[in-house]
Amino acid sequence: MILKIIIGLIVGFVFGYTLQRTGITKYPRVMGMLLLKDFKILKFMLTAVTFSMIGFYTLDSLGIIELNPKPLDWGKLVGGLIFGAGMGLLGYCPGTMLSRIGEGKKDAWVGLLGTVLGILFFAVHVEFFKTHFKAKSISGDISAALGINPWIIVPVAAIIFMAIIYLANKKVDDFKQNF
Amino acid sequence: MQSKQSKKGEWHWFTGGIIVSVLAMATYIIFQALSYKSYPFGITASFGNVASWFQYPFDALADNPIIRKYSDSPSSIISLTMLFSVALGGFAAAKLNKNYAPEMIPSVWRKYHGPSVLKRFIIVLFGGFLLGLGAVLASGCTTGNILQGWAHLSLGSIVAGASFFITGIITANILYPKTGGHQS
Repeated sequence: MILKIIIGLIVGFVFGYTLQRTGITKYPRVMGMLLLKDFKILKFMLTAVTFSMIGFYTLDSLGIIELNPKPLDWGKLVGGLIFGAGMGLLGYCPGTMLSRIGEGKKDAWVGLLGTVLGILFFAVHVEFFKTHFKAKSISGDISAALGINPWIIVPVAAIIFMAIIYLANKKVDDFKQNF
Repeated sequence: MQSKQSKKGEWHWFTGGIIVSVLAMATYIIFQALSYKSYPFGITASFGNVASWFQYPFDALADNPIIRKYSDSPSSIISLTMLFSVALGGFAAAKLNKNYAPEMIPSVWRKYHGPSVLKRFIIVLFGGFLLGLGAVLASGCTTGNILQGWAHLSLGSIVAGASFFITGIITANILYPKTGGHQS
């Protein structure tokens, strides 16, 4: 119990601190990314993804952890599209929303309320959503599905991510000029 | 990956990215060590935990599988703690670096959509509703599906994360159709 609380405190604090300190929580930043004018968030995310990916697959190969890829179902696509529209309206996602609450941005509190209501809506209509969007799924493990060694896919993905970072980095991130 | 100028005073995107990456790997190892199966950390569960509180005033929700999932998960205390600690982290970062600037609505929103707090709050409430519904339907938000899911190369997360951007970009362009005035 105490251990769980300590883990939650440390992980959440470092996460919220880093998001704010890197400028990821700024409303013009998020909107700037979605307007394809400010790519700092994209570069931040892809840096994290690239390093974690190499780390996760190394740990998996060493037998320290076991990866558990999320399967693909219609909920991923439809839910993702609904989520994206919400992110565009809010100008932040769940993680940055919490960090913004800490920053004293009052509208994030309303976002929190809305998010909880959205989850409750899903809970109340869970049977509908399960039958229509979760009934059929295919394995999320790309390397197993294609029968290719993950250590061929990982470097290819890393190169793609780094190429996107490189291209995005040609643009100066000055979100204030964008609005 | 050399840097162009980042906003002054902020951490570089590379620094932030590495920290979050280390965090993602560390939590995965810790969670697995604590035998919560292979459970990547995500923020959606923290919001789900708040949603599960509604089982107390509304008895009908007590048997709901989603409410039970968020309420009974072995990591639910971690999720609940993170609800506060992420906000605390944002607060500490803003205070310690002297950019704590409380506001009712974002200044960019005010400039383009007027000073009405009610209008912004209605949009945000609706946006939040979509965010919550979409996150549960897609089994994760930006943290779970991109920071974790893309790193695991999960097919489901790659589709979910890409679809975040499709409607996100459309929505942003509807809200701000004529931005980028500085461009040549």
